[in-house]
Amino acid sequence: MGSCDPVLLGCLLTVFLPLSAFALIMIFTWRYHKLSMAISLVASTIPLLIAWYFFFTLDVKQPIIYNFNWLVSDQVKVPFGFLLDPTSVLMFVIVATISWLVQIYSIGYMGGDPGFGRYYADLSLFALAMLGLVISSGLLQLYIFWELVGLASYLLIGFWYEKFSASEAGKKAFVVTRFGDIGFFMGLVFLTLYFGSLDIATVNSAALTAKMPPWLITTSALLIFCGIMGKSAQFPIHVWLPDAMEGPTPVSALLHSATMVAAGVFLLTRLFPLFAASATAMSVVLVISTITLLLSSTIGMVATDIKQVWAYSTVSQLGFMAMGLSAAGLAAGTLFPGYYHLTTHAAFKALLFLCSGVFIHHFGTNDFFVMATQGGRKLLIPMATITIAALALAGIFPFAGFFSKEAILGALAHLPNKMWLVLGLFGAFLTAYYAFRVIFVMLFPKEKYDKYHLETDPHAHAPAHSHGHGPGPGFTHDDAHIHPDAKPGHEHDESGHGAGHGHDEPHGVPWVMSFPLLVLAGFTLILGFCQGSLEKYLLGESAPHHIEYGLLVSAVSCAFGGIALAWFDWGRRGAKCVGFISYVPVLENFFIQKWYMDHFWRWFLNTFIYGIFSRAFTYNDRRVVDGGVDAVAFSTVGSGRLLSFIQTAFLQYNLLFMVLVLAGVGIYLLMGR
Amino acid sequence: MLLFNQLETYLYLAIVLFAIGLYGVLARRSLIALLISVELILNAASINFMAFNRFLAPHPAVGQIITLFIMAVAAAEAAIALSIIVALYRKLKTINIEQATELRG
Repeated sequence: MGSCDPVLLGCLLTVFLPLSAFALIMIFTWRYHKLSMAISLVASTIPLLIAWYFFFTLDVKQPIIYNFNWLVSDQVKVPFGFLLDPTSVLMFVIVATISWLVQIYSIGYMGGDPGFGRYYADLSLFALAMLGLVISSGLLQLYIFWELVGLASYLLIGFWYEKFSASEAGKKAFVVTRFGDIGFFMGLVFLTLYFGSLDIATVNSAALTAKMPPWLITTSALLIFCGIMGKSAQFPIHVWLPDAMEGPTPVSALLHSATMVAAGVFLLTRLFPLFAASATAMSVVLVISTITLLLSSTIGMVATDIKQVWAYSTVSQLGFMAMGLSAAGLAAGTLFPGYYHLTTHAAFKALLFLCSGVFIHHFGTNDFFVMATQGGRKLLIPMATITIAALALAGIFPFAGFFSKEAILGALAHLPNKMWLVLGLFGAFLTAYYAFRVIFVMLFPKEKYDKYHLETDPHAHAPAHSHGHGPGPGFTHDDAHIHPDAKPGHEHDESGHGAGHGHDEPHGVPWVMSFPLLVLAGFTLILGFCQGSLEKYLLGESAPHHIEYGLLVSAVSCAFGGIALAWFDWGRRGAKCVGFISYVPVLENFFIQKWYMDHFWRWFLNTFIYGIFSRAFTYNDRRVVDGGVDAVAFSTVGSGRLLSFIQTAFLQYNLLFMVLVLAGVGIYLLMGR
Repeated sequence: MLLFNQLETYLYLAIVLFAIGLYGVLARRSLIALLISVELILNAASINFMAFNRFLAPHPAVGQIITLFIMAVAAAEAAIALSIIVALYRKLKTINIEQATELRG
């Protein structure tokens, strides 16, 4: 024990290096872009090395725990510390790696931005929060870092704060996730009250079921799941994540696809024994994640903003991970399928976003139809890597997504009710469709949407695929203005970001941007074949893996079916370039309007929050609080005014009064004797 | 018993002086008269101190010292009060106390 323990030292360095980088940049060096970048890169490279060192050399079969009492109050002890077990070390590696790659990538993407220093400070803050979250030993500590992650997310989404939609999106993300975090915190309070410990290792141990009745476990698990829903953008509070795409694209890659939003799923794996102890909680998780998967896949089918497509894809894949975990929890499985999908998803989704970032950087637009017509496929490296990532997302054989999806579908197949498996397969089908819709549009641009996109004002039309029958009923632009949250994809033209970038002159892809793409593509290729060793690392032993050929065939045929349909609709020569969904205009409009979730929340806010709570609180504030203060003030003034009649300014009356009183007192004292 | 050798004589004298002074303070409207009346009240107090010192005090000097203090304080007070009166006169062109009503509530 002591400062010479290299593991503890590594953990401390991991947390304090990014913290000091953040402080240093924010206080001193934010004006000096290169210096800030160098500081931040140093502070993210060292955790990266530590992470990989831990991953390969540290034996964490027995969890390594360092605990220091931070808060002691009678029975309740809140320790701060580090917990290194396979779950946390693997996530540690993912976070450190992607965070480092994104920092490298941002050198190219953010170069010339006036807020370059601030950007790197925020990235360092995020690294601090996320790494601290991953290796924290107690739930309260995790909660603190959880909120810090939310703060970093807020700062980075609203990075181009001069753009109104960006600052709004930042606020929305912060408030919506906070909405879920209320539940998370209440869950922690429940655990503290009835279990008495927030230590993760203790909560996960068998002591839990012995000490808490089942309904209490269910309640705490569901409350904690509220926080997960907020952070991992599960239905119905997923609405913040698509808007979070207002941030710079590397931020979307780092926070809003690969790591931060995965924190929710990570917490689900972290507390897997707790959740598994309650079948009810797991069923709720399963239902919600399934709804999330289907909802966001269908919205992804109709979005025209490339980042929106990947954003909804992220939401759906997070739902897919949660499905895998809950199915495993219900059918006495392991946390491996969900966690494995988290790992592979981190690689290929970060890759998708970073590739899209290259296109956005190059063409200055978010609309992939425009990118396609302007020759997006000529950028060879990003086009190749985005195709690899999309293949992985769709779940095609040699790529990582295939293996992890197959693992999750295997977990779903163990459920007695086969409906979940069918829904999962349907989700996989939709995923393949929307991913390859983007890819085919980019690879085989057509004249049709050429004309459509280039001749009309990009701000004043409905998305491209409603070409042919015009905007659906009810979809007017007034709608979008009444509900500022429900904006069509075209408004994300990143106008604020064009400022420092010189999009006009075509330039190749700088190596700082292509290098992370190639690394991530490499991960996407090899992660699939690491399934066995990863499972061994996570669970201690690799379960005998009998392949269910029926499942395999149906999964692959779903993926290929999706791709084929996408080819039929978008890719083949003479394709109509109209999504198959447009044959059902009502449904299509429903999807374009994002299942009216934004409308729902707007209505909810107006009716309940503003209409009832805010009104009551405002009334209380005006009448009771302000009224009380006013009453004190008015009574003081009034009594002063009343007493001022005594102030006649005739000195001698005052004196006479004084003498008379003194005489009276004197006489009273004399009589009293 | 000689009249001068009794405590009561001096106390009555002090009461009379105090009463005259109090009356002056309460009844007169001229600030100068007020000042003079205050001096009378102070003198009444001084006489009380001297009388008690002469007839009752175990230590003979304390009352005299306080009286000396009162005289010094009275002199200072007179100087300050006169300067206030002069300032007031410059502002109001009168030293009638009934005219100084600016602090009325």
